[in-house]
Amino acid sequence: MTDSTAPVVLIVEDEPDVAETYKLWLEGDYEVRLAADGTEGWEKLDEDVDVVLLDRMMPGLSGDEVLDNIREEGLSCRVAMVTAVEPDFDILDMGFDSYLSKPIRSDELHETVEKLLERSSYDRLLQQYYALVEKQATLETAKSGAELAESDEYERLQGRIEELQEDLSQTMGSVKDDTDFLTTIQQIGGDEN
Amino acid sequence: MYDLSPVLDTEAVTEVRPGTSVLVAGPAMTGKDQLALDILAAGSRQGEGALVVSTSDEASTIMEDYQARVGHEGGYPLGIVDCFADTDEPAPDRPGSYVHHVSSPADLTGIGIGITKCLESLHDNGADRGRMGLSSLSTMLTYTDRKTVFKFCHVLSSRLDAAGYLGVFTIDTGAHDEQTIQVIKQAFDGLVELRQSDAGREARVVGIADSPTAWAAL
Repeated sequence: MTDSTAPVVLIVEDEPDVAETYKLWLEGDYEVRLAADGTEGWEKLDEDVDVVLLDRMMPGLSGDEVLDNIREEGLSCRVAMVTAVEPDFDILDMGFDSYLSKPIRSDELHETVEKLLERSSYDRLLQQYYALVEKQATLETAKSGAELAESDEYERLQGRIEELQEDLSQTMGSVKDDTDFLTTIQQIGGDEN
Repeated sequence: MYDLSPVLDTEAVTEVRPGTSVLVAGPAMTGKDQLALDILAAGSRQGEGALVVSTSDEASTIMEDYQARVGHEGGYPLGIVDCFADTDEPAPDRPGSYVHHVSSPADLTGIGIGITKCLESLHDNGADRGRMGLSSLSTMLTYTDRKTVFKFCHVLSSRLDAAGYLGVFTIDTGAHDEQTIQVIKQAFDGLVELRQSDAGREARVVGIADSPTAWAAL
């Protein structure tokens, strides 16, 4: 799929067969990038990448190190860590959004990518919503009630805010369960670091 | 539906939809935090769950104060997220209560974890509905910028909505500029404004009914 609006998924996996399989499963719905190790993965990461599937155990730059880099650089992509065993560590402490244990099934992979995309679209909407609310507050504090009532800009702004409220409440599914709620909170807290 | 009229004497708040979050706003010494706790206590008297997130009191103080407000020791379920005293001391042992300590009001993830655990405990103790009070956003705003606090409020309100809870958050209007108050307001479904007049403490409710209620004595 070459649709430029398709979400971008970066697969960082050192076993070529496994990487190709994931690609095959996902490429109908997303733009897929492949990286054979952590170093290449880091090179292929940019602002366009929405979701990273990151193998934890790789020679060279490990998954954990790539993850540290992502968080340090403040990249907004969502990360699913791929592990050989069920992890016994805390997702929140590790700073990733989800994990998958090998072997991964096609439906599992799709489900995880979808969920992470939904979360990042919630973040994006919330970001836009905040920007408008801030603008609205600036106008409200600078202008009188009569001036606001006559302002087309203010009216448009209010309309846009209502639309976004609607969009947000529809995407709200992304904070319904506990893990989603916590990773979303972590993300907003982490924005400032 | 949640009935807030035992605390705020107006028709407008007799049937507040589950999932609603309100901001209690007013200058210092108008009793915002007390009002929030009274709203929770009115629910506890009817067997609802109560969740207190505090940036200014430690768990044992909250528990004592809250018991006095409810008026009986009975087995109402209570959850406390204490962001004030980061202590290893065990929380006071009270059946049906759960306490979570967070190192600082700046630790939003920690507060989120505390809220999640409290909601779980309240559910396990038979509360399938309840009210959450957070005092105060003003303290959080001294640790964290308003954009982050706004987003936090929005995400938390959404979580409470999914749980069918009522949310009550407090803010000191004297501690922030007008624009900050305008921004934070927007994260909520409604507003309870408090003021001190010659007649005493007064409140009005904005955004829950079609038009703002008249100022009424508390």
